[in-house]
Amino acid sequence: MKRTLESGQVTRRGFLVGGAATIVTVAVSGVTLLADPARNWAVELPSFTPDQARVLLQFVRDLFPHARLVETFYAEAIAPLHDEAAKDPATRELLASGIAQLNTLAHAPAGKSYADVTDEKARVAAIRQIEGGAFFAKVYGATLTPLYNQRKVWPLFGYEGPSSALGGYLHRGFNDLDWL
Amino acid sequence: MPAKFDHNDSSVVVIIGSGAGGGTLAHELARKGISVVVLEAGKRVEMTEFQNDEVAMFALFTWQDPRTATGSWSVAKTSPDLPVWTCKLVGGTTVHWGACALRFQDHEFKPRTRYGAIAGANLMDWPVDLKEMEPYYDRAEDMMGVTGTHGIPPLPVSNHGKVLFAGAKKLGYTKYQVTNMAINSLPRDGRASCQQTGFCVQGCTFGAKWSTLYVDIPRAEATGKAEIRPECQALRIEHDASGKVTAVVYADRTGALQRQKARIVAVAGNAIESPRLLLNSSSSLFPHGLANSSGQVGRNYMRHTTGAVFAVFEKPVHMYRGTAQSGIVMDEARLDTRRGFVGGYQMELLPQGLPSFAQTIIPGGWGRDRAWILDHYANAAGLWVIGEDMPRETNRITLHPEKKDRFGMPIPNIHSDDHPNDVAMRNHGYQQGESLYKSIGALKTVRVSPYPSTHNMGTNRMSEKPRDGVVNQFGQAHDVKNLFVSDGSQFPSSGGENPTLTIVALTLRQAEYIADQMARGEI
Ligand SMILES: Cc1cc2nc3c(=O)[nH]c(=O)nc-3n(C[C@H](O)[C@H](O)[C@H](O)COP(=O)(O)OP(=O)(O)OC[C@H]3O[C@@H](n4cnc5c(N)ncnc54)[C@H](O)[C@@H]3O)c2cc1C
Ligand code: SF4
Repeated sequence: MKRTLESGQVTRRGFLVGGAATIVTVAVSGVTLLADPARNWAVELPSFTPDQARVLLQFVRDLFPHARLVETFYAEAIAPLHDEAAKDPATRELLASGIAQLNTLAHAPAGKSYADVTDEKARVAAIRQIEGGAFFAKVYGATLTPLYNQRKVWPLFGYEGPSSALGGYLHRGFNDLDWL
Repeated sequence: MPAKFDHNDSSVVVIIGSGAGGGTLAHELARKGISVVVLEAGKRVEMTEFQNDEVAMFALFTWQDPRTATGSWSVAKTSPDLPVWTCKLVGGTTVHWGACALRFQDHEFKPRTRYGAIAGANLMDWPVDLKEMEPYYDRAEDMMGVTGTHGIPPLPVSNHGKVLFAGAKKLGYTKYQVTNMAINSLPRDGRASCQQTGFCVQGCTFGAKWSTLYVDIPRAEATGKAEIRPECQALRIEHDASGKVTAVVYADRTGALQRQKARIVAVAGNAIESPRLLLNSSSSLFPHGLANSSGQVGRNYMRHTTGAVFAVFEKPVHMYRGTAQSGIVMDEARLDTRRGFVGGYQMELLPQGLPSFAQTIIPGGWGRDRAWILDHYANAAGLWVIGEDMPRETNRITLHPEKKDRFGMPIPNIHSDDHPNDVAMRNHGYQQGESLYKSIGALKTVRVSPYPSTHNMGTNRMSEKPRDGVVNQFGQAHDVKNLFVSDGSQFPSSGGENPTLTIVALTLRQAEYIADQMARGEI
């Protein structure tokens, strides 16, 4: 579920290229929104509280930490998980308790969350303790492919993707390696 | 024109599955004027539906009906819900396959004689040998258009191949080359030449790669002697009081049960589904499963000893550009027990697109080290170790005691434990693969544990004596003379080469035999 910050629709995959983004988590009329105002981009996650959304975002970045990927790609990656949770109370429950556990294990100060813990080592140590558990498996399994299967992510890793429509790589570098 | 046969027409040969074995058999028999009905569990997907998209094509092609896995093989942990990677569509796994088309070596047809008795392995010589197979390999290569045979030039060397070959040379290997591929290097047989798209496993959009989907099946239909019934899953094979098979019961696309009468039944559902079907066809005459007086149906499951090594270099490779599996190092394919194991292995190119690479490079992995590897995706290269694994009676397909599929057919459980020989070979392969890449300056190498099995063999093995196996050298059931097995489940051993060329060659030989036996009124 996407929308611009003003009013209109944001196309499902139509947003952003490159640069660092500052993503904000806000509740607009009680609906959690991950937003990148600079890019006029937002994703609605009504079944998460803003804090839950922030923790998940940070958690997924800690699992798959790529400096080259701006926040919005991670937000895209958690959107399908959100949609699943929206439909399934058991998933919602699993996420809620897992997030609470992460907050505790990362020693988030009172009133703060895992996402506020600036020491990466502390966050990683917390993840180590939940690795192998149901919450970890759920988030890992539900976000990995949605993260790396984004067409706009591919060029950032040097993956050119589909080639049939361009006549393959026959005349586009399949044998251009010259450093050996 | 595709034929249309009546359910009560008991003159037809019913073939179950339309992949490498079933599709080839349908074409061969139809060409000879024999009526065939092909039951295929999957849909008929057109080539125009192929996309250069790993995730979408996996979803479109893959057999995803539930299967379970037990045993100490790593796949039971890394991929318990999908232990085996095969396809479910017209054309079977030949839609997905990488098209590396190699012959078995002479000694691989005689493992018991050449390797001796190996504890914990159920080794047996094949009832055929290389010499007998040669004319059929020859025809299969011609039919499939295998490069490097019949005057067909090899495919060109890709970036990924250059890296493999440079490392092989540095290590002192000599047998490295562009693989014999069932992929057109020049236009041939009405099909285009390879455009180096790199999406061979997602379905070849140019039709350069051989697949029964667009080669054998339409040609079988064009004879007017073949009917393909997609979305029809065989559930049971029936027989009469004398023990001859008479009909196949299947669920059609609406889920309704149908019964197709048959003069002959050929099972070609790949090495998991074929034994599953025989086991599910037990009766008072065949209490342990159809054609299972030997007790070998479902046993001796083999999947090749595999493992992958990926390496990251300082400079770009772009492994995803170009024909996927088109490079090979064959030096380790020899038989040389000084290495600490019998049998041999190949090292084959294994490129991956970013989504697949991310999924499989470190199963369950996370954090900075893994991210570093992915950050260097463009500079990565990979090879696949694929070698002979040991047949073991206890590695087997069984019917799940409780779980059933949507048609009420028990789902298969796949049990596998590595033999010590497999472990020794895999470790040797990892070591050599790492050395190969390090010799040319790899910054880092990663060992990847076996993927869900793409090569599945052995579960209805052929044997000279009925007590040792399920079928004879022509794939004909020892117990039931009008029942045939036409896929890799016939293999008594796995060899160190990808199996499909051998499946096709065996099928060509089988088709001749069936036609001959029919003409003589034997079946
Ligand atoms: C990614 C990948 C890459 C590969 N690369 C290579 C390679 O480079 N070289 C090589 O030699 N091999 C390769 N293989 C293996 C190759 O695809 C198989 O060896 C070959 O296709 C097996 O042929 P088959 O006829 O036994 O089964 P399949 O080709 O799998 O066909 C079996 C068919 O039977 C159908 N079926 C099953 N049960 C039933 C039923 N009960 N009723 C009706 N229909 C049924 C299935 O839906 C399927 O369509 C690869 C496999 C994969 C997955
Ligand atoms: S690389 Fe060649 S064989 Fe593979 S999909 Fe492309 S055209 Fe087909």
